[in-house]
Amino acid sequence: MITTVLYTAVVGLVIISLVAIIRAYGGPSVLDRMVAMNVITTNVVMIILIFAYIDQSYYYIDVAFVFVIGTFIATLCILKLLREGHII
Amino acid sequence: MNKMVLQYIAFFFLFGGFFFLLVGVVGLLRLPDLYTRMHAMGKCDTLGAGLILIALMLLIGDITNITKLFLIGVMIATINPIITHLIAKTAYNRGTPMAEGSYVINDYVAAQRRRRRSRLQEVAKGDDSSQ
Repeated sequence: MITTVLYTAVVGLVIISLVAIIRAYGGPSVLDRMVAMNVITTNVVMIILIFAYIDQSYYYIDVAFVFVIGTFIATLCILKLLREGHII
Repeated sequence: MNKMVLQYIAFFFLFGGFFFLLVGVVGLLRLPDLYTRMHAMGKCDTLGAGLILIALMLLIGDITNITKLFLIGVMIATINPIITHLIAKTAYNRGTPMAEGSYVINDYVAAQRRRRRSRLQEVAKGDDSSQ
């Protein structure tokens, strides 16, 4: 029962991410796309953690941690490029 | 029996987190403006992620992995407001338009001028007193 509920939650998160891709594809400005990609990032982290519990392979938690930090740095770089015109 | 009760509590938290993520995405799709979309995203995303993390903590029940999950929750709860704040500031500086017919009180420029003037006065006063 527990794996069924968790797989249902994973499928729901994938559907939510596909709905957010609509906004990322047709957003009027760059910042709309960035907001949508932030939502998709959080959903992907949750999917990684749920799969880590389903497989009982807990090293995926470290993968999720690195993923969070990497997306944070990437978003900061894109925002600095938009504000100032250069990154470094 | 105790484990069964814990599983049902975890399912409750999982359903709550999923519901909040769904509400955030519906707001992202339906609202008319960048700022309102960010208002829907920034709160619902953080709360939904935190609830799903609580559910996974209850399911796993191992102290090292619970610590790692708590650390991921702290990271998300600090990163998401920072990103939202920076996106809003960038949108304001680029002059992204609001939706039609929104009522705006713009105090940002006036507050900046006031702060700069008071700082200049303080600097001038400090120079007078020192010399």
